[in-house]
This record gives sequence, structure tokens and C-alpha cells, in this order.
Amino acid sequence: MFIRAMIAAAVMFGGVATASAQTKETVKIAFIGPMSGGNSAAGIGGRNSAELAVRLRNADPASKYNYQLVPMDDECKPNVGIQVATRVSTDRSIVAGVTHYCSAVAIATVDVYHRFRLPVVVWGAILPAITYGNEHKEIHRVNGSMLDEVRASTSFLTGLGYKKWVIVHDTTDYGNGFLRFFKERIAETNAEIVSSFGVSADQQDFSAELLKIKGIQPQIVVFAGLTPLGVRIRSQMERLGVDIQYAGVSGIMSASYVEALGATAEGTVSVHNGAPAESLPGGRMFVEQYGKAGFTDPAEPYGPYAFVAASLIMDAVEEVGPDREKVRDVLNATKDHESVAGPITFDDHRHHAVASTKYVAQDGHWVRWEDSLYASGQRHLKGQ
Amino acid sequence: MKLTNLTTSFAVAAIGTLLTGVILVAENQWAVIGALLAAAALSIVLARLKIGMVLASVLNESSAWVALLIPLGGVIIGFALHEEDFVLMMLATVLIYGLACVGLTIQFGYAGVINFAGAAFFGIGGYTAALLGEWGIPSLLIIVAGGMVAAAIGCILILPVLRTKGHYAALITIAFGLLFRSFLEVNHTLGGPQGLKVEGASVAGHSLLDGIQLGSFQASFYLNYVLLALGVFTICFILARNLEKSWIGVNFDAVREDPIGASVFGVNVAYWRIMAFVIGNFVIGLAGAIFAMMQNFIAPSNFTFSDSLIMLSIIVLGGLGNLWAILPAAILVVVMPEKLQEIGEFRILVFAVLVVLVLRFRPSGLFPRALRKFRREVAQ
Amino acid sequence: MAILFEYLFNGAVLGIMYALVAVGFTLFFGVLDIIKFSHGDVLTLGAFSGLVSFLALQSLGLDLPVVGLVVVLAAACIVTGAVGALIGQAFIIPMRNASGFNILLMTLMIGTGIREAIRLFYPNGANPKAFPALLPKTPIEIGGVFFRLDSIVLLGLGFGVILLTNWLIRHTKLGLAIRAVAQDGDTAQAMGIPFKTIVLATFALGSALAGIAGVMHGIYYSEINFSVGLLLGVIGFSAAVVGGLGSIWGAIIGGFTFAALQTLWVVVFPDASGYRDVFAFTAIIIAMTIWPTGIIAERYSERV
Repeated sequence: MFIRAMIAAAVMFGGVATASAQTKETVKIAFIGPMSGGNSAAGIGGRNSAELAVRLRNADPASKYNYQLVPMDDECKPNVGIQVATRVSTDRSIVAGVTHYCSAVAIATVDVYHRFRLPVVVWGAILPAITYGNEHKEIHRVNGSMLDEVRASTSFLTGLGYKKWVIVHDTTDYGNGFLRFFKERIAETNAEIVSSFGVSADQQDFSAELLKIKGIQPQIVVFAGLTPLGVRIRSQMERLGVDIQYAGVSGIMSASYVEALGATAEGTVSVHNGAPAESLPGGRMFVEQYGKAGFTDPAEPYGPYAFVAASLIMDAVEEVGPDREKVRDVLNATKDHESVAGPITFDDHRHHAVASTKYVAQDGHWVRWEDSLYASGQRHLKGQ
Repeated sequence: MKLTNLTTSFAVAAIGTLLTGVILVAENQWAVIGALLAAAALSIVLARLKIGMVLASVLNESSAWVALLIPLGGVIIGFALHEEDFVLMMLATVLIYGLACVGLTIQFGYAGVINFAGAAFFGIGGYTAALLGEWGIPSLLIIVAGGMVAAAIGCILILPVLRTKGHYAALITIAFGLLFRSFLEVNHTLGGPQGLKVEGASVAGHSLLDGIQLGSFQASFYLNYVLLALGVFTICFILARNLEKSWIGVNFDAVREDPIGASVFGVNVAYWRIMAFVIGNFVIGLAGAIFAMMQNFIAPSNFTFSDSLIMLSIIVLGGLGNLWAILPAAILVVVMPEKLQEIGEFRILVFAVLVVLVLRFRPSGLFPRALRKFRREVAQ
Repeated sequence: MAILFEYLFNGAVLGIMYALVAVGFTLFFGVLDIIKFSHGDVLTLGAFSGLVSFLALQSLGLDLPVVGLVVVLAAACIVTGAVGALIGQAFIIPMRNASGFNILLMTLMIGTGIREAIRLFYPNGANPKAFPALLPKTPIEIGGVFFRLDSIVLLGLGFGVILLTNWLIRHTKLGLAIRAVAQDGDTAQAMGIPFKTIVLATFALGSALAGIAGVMHGIYYSEINFSVGLLLGVIGFSAAVVGGLGSIWGAIIGGFTFAALQTLWVVVFPDASGYRDVFAFTAIIIAMTIWPTGIIAERYSERV
């Protein structure tokens, strides 16, 4: 650590010296995420956050390079993702990438990055196989995986006494992945999944599924999917009089969930791979700066991770210069690296595990469970 | 064949090659827009001077050898840009989509059998390649198998497609396209929504994933796929062209334009519609298999309804039934959204508006199909 | 037993919404023999204009119970009617001699354009939006059967609108003109019926139905988003075709059939609920094979 600090200091001095002596060299970093289509809210939030990281770095006189973000749209489609990934990887002026929100795209592109040796840091996709399914040294991930969420969610919900589960999941890799890991995890507890329903990602009406669930009478309905579907299911539960506790995964935890549902959102519980941005020292800075930067769209929950991914890459470039292999090696060795999402450490599969945080929707906001009126006993979840 | 015809064809091929190269390489927005404007201006001038029609009939009348200008142009571009991975990948993608559109042209352009499930048959070819690739079967065989499986599965739809007409037939293929994708997503035996990895192709023991290396010449491995796609495209192109010019093509025309009249004259309408549908699906399946091998990965979301629409946009934008129009239109439809990345969120909107404008103001496409000249053909 | 009634009831609400969309498709097909695939996205536009008009009312402090519903419905109908007629005027009538397929592709792309425009230009348009509860949501329970008051009102509204449309087509001068144009445009014109006006009026009428369906959709699901039109368009088209293009009753039968197929599958095979669309579309292909021109066959039916 000490040597690293020395190097960093030396680099800083050098940086100041060169910066004042000449104009800085421009280093390009790619950002890839869904910027059109149904998941574009998350993609645009991620792009803005990565852009924020770049702007803050460029405003810092100590930085040795002038950074430029190259944003690309993968439309959340694997074939488009492969095209964009190839385009970015074969552009030699791009040093590294902050890549992918959709797991299906991220898993499709890992081989492309490996083939062209572009180091990337995943900022939003949580399928474990993206980092654990290969030995590609180029792929890193800062936002944890669904295993972290499933672990936290299962012990939390069973701890509250919910033993009879129904899982509703979307039939994409995201929902199916959750279903699989939930099944594995629940088998180790005394709870049981009495039924599970696969629903397609563009389905509108859930009356048939929900009435079936009404007949089953479980203690809790756990939804594994993204916000638009999560909103529809919750509001239709209300309409059909399905009065059962509702829980989600990080996919539903966005500002638009509580906005779109209003009072109906009250009491929905969820888990997310990251403590509330506001509660971290760096997180407060992130929220402030994001507000100041004047973006019209919100950062969305995974925004801070895009910020962290971009920062990690820029830190590595500051250390060893804009060289893909050196940047990759530095990223591989990341250990206790300070960031707005807490210290980042990559394991042997370049994966940063996080402790998921539990949340509950309370008065139109997502509140950390421990800070909520539910934990303190002033309000009660259904069936408690 | 007249010498002027040959020189015209060469000139067209040269201009086409040059414009394709520029559009593919252009990184700068202005260069892209410039090349597109040049192409647009060219097509308008051609249309105004009636050269378009003349050109179309020249290309249509000329012998099969003229079709070899396409691989010639493709090889020139391919070797000129042999180090540019991304550009070569786009070129290969254009050729693969072009191949699928040859199949759609046989179905819809020639015989008038509508197919809104192009992406589904494309996907069947791809999934066949993924499954057979694991068994170490020679790649060229796998490609053919992809076409055959697509044609075979397409046979399920023969009865409904034959019994219905017009918009009713359109619904059958739309429904099939939707259920195909939905089925792949919920059924886990074929990888489910996560998709499957696909073995890359190898020809004569040489894996296409290794780029060609000859002394100081080092090419991207995508050049291999460009050459593979180019080869298959050229063969199918020439076969389709010969099909159109043969008596089978005349039957297709009769079935399309006036099925009742055709049946009165003893043309077996059902037979020719089945033929066109099956042959078309076979070609689309070939394209799907090559696509899967090049991408090394396929997932259900590659084969959605909007992908079918993209394929249909290509043949309609180009000019229904005109094989020569497929490549320029495929370049427009496949490459343009990619080149418009800088306008990010707005590009699908821009693309939709452009297609609407072309359909509204040039309803027969950018390069309309030439009319068949019977007397000369009979004389041949 | 009680749950069976709930299935039936909610399936009926779903069916009436599909039917409203399908009636639009069938009207357009009746007058010009074309499929206007932008219909689903015009519906989304209607729902969003209803939402905007409600927000405007709210900012003026005029969001009273009945007034709100009337204004929202009127706003949605005016916007969708105008847009429907505009698409007809600018894109479809000039192209009426082109192949029907060209128009299908063109209107699909117009729909994509509308959808993307809503996503891009409505503030935070990519996220789902809360739709105001314009009707009382009072829960009612009769003999263990649970439903809400507004669901019943919506069901009644849907049936009312369809009956009104049917009356309009059967018993008014406008309806007579529409039927004349549907039967034979050229002859109708020769008889002094203003062809273009009638076609545009039909487009406005059909699209206004989509506007009503959009608002119903918003109220029933308490939520709207930019992409609802895509699937509803496909389902509405399927329903119209299965029922038999050109027939209003066919559209209604088609709408309810589709809703029934989807619900039935999940009720019978809950563990394979993901396959419900596979099942519904397979059933449609089979139905089309048995009745190639729809359940109410085109040639025997009176075209509207």
C-alpha cells in the first residue's frame, strides 16, 4: 500500500508538471448500456453517472490525461451488443469500457472483449456467469451478483416469518436466474416455494396469474424482474384484492416504482446490491454532484456503480498510462480501492461481492429497512 | 450480350463498391451523411433520367456472369480493409442479411407469399448451427443443415398459409414469429433466454476464427466470414436469378399477379406457392446458420418481430422483387443505425421516419424491379 | 366457485379492451382494405394525452370526480381522432393504390415513430407513469366474489361504446355512407358520397375508440407506459383477423376469444404459465386454418 501511495504521489506530481507544461493527451473510455427501448431509463442514468465521473476527473488539475466518454447503445439486445462491443474493442483509441446493464447482453459479449483484449468493468448486469462462467482476465464487475441479493433476501424474508412463497419471475435470463438461485437457497431453509409463475417481459395483464395466487394463499409474493413489470403486478394485486405481502429484487428498486404506484407502493420490500448512496461519505458527494451537473434524467440505482466503474478505469490509466494490458493488470489487482460505493476488491474472478442492503418503500421513498418505521415496529408488513 | 451493357454494369459495380467502402469506413458523421446524400442524389438522378429503369433492365437482361461483379466488389473491399475488424463484421452482416433477403424475395417478391417470420426461420438456422456445432460436423454441412431444418419446420405452416390470403396469411406468419421467440424464451432445452454459444465455422481444417496470415499480410478473422458469406450469397443470388428468368419464375409471376387467372391456365397455384415458401425458408436458414457461427452466440432476443421487420424493410426499400437492390438496401438498413450511434437515443426514431418517408414518396422502392421482357426471353 | 366468477369478470374486462382495439382495425379494413398497424401506438398516445389533460386540470384545481373523467376521455378521443385522421390523410389515402403490404409496413414504422417520440419527449417517458384513479375503487364483495366498482363501470363503458359504434354504423347517415364506401368505394363516390371525407371520418372514429381503450387501460391498470401499444396492436390485429376482418361482431368475438385463451391457459396449466402466448398464437394459427377468413367469414358478412 505504501509503495502504491508513493507511486500515486509521484504520478500526481508528474501529472501536475506535464499538465502545466503541455496540453493533456486525450484518453477514450467507452460506455455501453441500453439507451433506447424499455430499459433505457437505467441506461441513461448509467451513462450520465459515468459522464459525471469523467467530467469531475477532467476538472481536476491533478489528472494527467483528458478523458472522453464514448457512449454506445446496446438496446438490451445481444446481437446489437456484440456489434457495439466489436466496434468499441477494435477501436484502438479506446482504452477500456464501462459495459452493459442487461445480463443477456453482457454474457454474449464477454468473448468479444477477451478476443480483442479490451478491459471492461460491468456496471449493471448481475448474472453470476458473466464473471464466474469464464477465465477472461478482461472482465470485471463492481456491482455484485444476484447471489448476493438472493442470500440477503432469503434470510431477511424467512427471518420475518414468511415460509410459504410464490415467485413471479420474468422469463428472461434475469428472472430465471433469480428463480434458480432462490430455489437453491430456499431448499436450505424451512420455507418452501409453493408455486412459481413465468411471465413475459412485455406482458400487460396478470389477472389470471394473480387470481391463481389468490387461490393458493401464500404468505408472500416475490417478484424477480424489472420495474415496469413489477409496477403492473403490484397495482393489479391491489385491483384484484390479492392482499398478500409483496417483495422484489433490485430490478424493481427505482424511483419510478414508487412514483408510478403512489400509495400502493407502501410496504413493498426489496434488496439492492449497494447501501443507499446518501449514507456513504462518497455517496453524498455523488448525489450532490449529480444534482449540480444538471442532468434531466435521474441516476437510477445502478448509476453510482457506473460512476465507480469509470473512476476505477481512470485511476488505472492515471497509474500506468493508456495501455490496455497494463490497465487490465491494474484492474485485476484492485484491492480495497476507495470509491463512492465503498472499498472495491476484486476476487480471483474479478468480481466484487457486495453485501446487499434491505429496503422498504415507505411514504413514497425507498428507505433502508433498519431506518424504517417497519423495523421499529411503528408500521407492520402484511401478515405480520 | 452487348458491350455497352457490360461497361454499364462495370461502372455501376465500381460506383457501388466505392460508395459501400466509403460508407463502411466513414467514422466521421459528416462523411457518413455525405456518402448517404451522394447515394440518395445518385438514385434520384438515375430515376429522373429514367436510367434507373434502363439500368435495372440491363442488369436483369445480362448473363449470369455479371452477377460475379458482386463477389469481385466484395473481395476488393474485403482485402482493402483487411485489418478493420468492425468494418468487416458490418460487411459480413450486410451480406448475411442480404442472403436472408434473397430468400424473402423468392417468397414475397416472386411468388407473393408473405412472410413476417423471417427472423424466426433465420433463428431456426442459427439454433441448428448451435446444436450441430457441438458434434464436430463439418461447417459447410451445418450451414446446409440449417437451411434444411428451417425449410422443414416451415412446412408446418404450409397448410395454414395455403388456405389463407392477404392479411390473413400475414397474421399466420406474425403469430408464428411471436410464438417462436416466446417458446425459445420459456423452454430451457435450447438455452432459454440466455441463449447458446456457437462453435465458429472451420473450412478444410482451418478455423475461421484465425485470421489469414501470408507473410506480412495479416487479416482480421472477420475477413474469413466475409468471404464465406460472399460465397454463399453469390451462389444463392445466381440461383435465384436463374430461377426468376426460367419458366419457374414465370409461374411465380402468374401466381403472384393473378392466382385465379393462373389456375385457369393450368398453373398449379398451391404447388408454386409451397415451392417458393420452402425454397425461401431454406435460404433464410442458411443465412441464420452463418450468422450464428460468426457471432459465436445466439439468444432468442436476436430473433424478434422487429428483426423480421428489418428484413422486410430491406426488400421493400430496395424494390420488391429486384435482387440487385438487396445489397444497397441492406447497407442502408444494417449499417446506417450503427453509424448513427452518436445521435444515441434518437436513432430508432430517425430510422423509422426515414423508412416512412421512402415508402411514402418512393413506394416501389429505391430501385424498382425491371419489367419482364417476354419476347426476348422466349427467343433465348 | 367464487374465484371462477372473478376469472370470468376480469377476463371480460380484458376482452372488452381487446375488442375496442379490434373494432378500430376492422373499421379501417372495411373502408380501404388496409391494415393500419400504428393503431396500438395511437392508443398509447390517447392514454398519455388523457394523463396530460388530467395533470392540467389538477394544476387548475378542477380535478372533480365526474368532470375529470369526461375531460380525460374527451382529450384522449380528440387527440387520437385527429392523429388517426392525419395519418390517413398524409400517408394512407395518397397510397391507397400501393400494395397493402407497403401500407402495413409504413404504418408499423409510423407506430414505432410515435412510440419512440413518446419515450423521448414525454418527461421521463421511458418509465411507467401512474394513471389517476378517475373512478371510485370501492371494493365490493358478493358471495365471496371480489371486484371493484370501477372495474364494473369500465366494463359497462366498454360495452356502451361498442353498442354506440354499432348503432352509429347501422342507423345513421354517416354509418350508411361508411357502409357504402366499404362495399364499393368507386360506386359510392359516383352516388355523390364524399369518399375522402368518409374515409377520414372512419379513421377518426376508429382511432377515437383506441383513445377510449387507452384511458380504460390506464384506469384499469392504474399505470401506463410508452410500450403498451405494441402488444395491444398485435393482439387487436389478431382479434380482428380471427373474428373476420370487416365485421364489428367478428372483432368483438375475436377480442373475447383472445382474452379467454390467455386466461384459460394459466388457469389450467399454472406451472407452465410462461407458455400462454405460445398457446394463444398456436390456437390462432389453427383457428385460421379452420376458418381461413375469420370466424365470421368475410364473404358472407356484411362489411362495415
